[in-house]
Amino acid sequence: MAERGASADRLVRHALVDRLFHWLMAACVLVLLGTAFLPIMGLDFPWVAAHWIAGFILTAIVVFHTVRAAFWQDLKSMWIGGADLRAAIDTAAYSLRLSGRLPVNSGKYSFAQKLIHHLFTLVLLVAIVTGLLMMVRIDTPWWDRNPFWLAQATWGVVYVLHGLAALSLITMIICHIYFALRPEKRLFMRAMILGWIRREEYRNYHDDRR
Amino acid sequence: MELFRVTRTVYGQPVLQGMSWDLLWVFFGLGVAVVVIHAVYARWFAPKP
Repeated sequence: MAERGASADRLVRHALVDRLFHWLMAACVLVLLGTAFLPIMGLDFPWVAAHWIAGFILTAIVVFHTVRAAFWQDLKSMWIGGADLRAAIDTAAYSLRLSGRLPVNSGKYSFAQKLIHHLFTLVLLVAIVTGLLMMVRIDTPWWDRNPFWLAQATWGVVYVLHGLAALSLITMIICHIYFALRPEKRLFMRAMILGWIRREEYRNYHDDRR
Repeated sequence: MELFRVTRTVYGQPVLQGMSWDLLWVFFGLGVAVVVIHAVYARWFAPKP
């Protein structure tokens, strides 16, 4: 975690650009889910344009995040290694009262945080790739629709994957918001809003060596 | 409950259309179940360090 921009008591956990990415991505995903599922639930409105525009914005910012993470950030901080798996097993054993040993502190991200990040990565990539393919089937300012670009059976698989990704996002977002709001996790939500955590919180939750 | 939406061609062959939207409530319920189970566990059963 960076010292730059931090005060004596505060450490920067998330730079402004990363926080903007997170919240813009959240807004895009909520618009996408709303425009996908509200019409299915009976709320009829012209949803197609809002859906694909939000999808395009989501695609653009995910590409931006991927490039930034690859070249300007520390990819290792999100890697799940053997130490993370051992820590996860220790945490599970402690939580289930199978062991009295307190779990070790994590690096910048805990095993659970890395896991949900990778799950969102997988699900969003499936949604984006299939969504981009489905764009061929609608009229946009740049091309006319062509529903025959893929075979009917192949379109079916594309639609299944897109739908499965969208449905999975519902469960994942409910869990993500719940854990973000839990009292012991609110420091991480505050860091995603304001950018910083306190030094004392850093010492309590993180291990410098990881 | 169906897992998939399927239509038929004029020749009667099934054509996959996508996931069944009945599953919307399954995935929503799964998320709520995780929240409730964890909240109960955290309130009454989790070890206090």
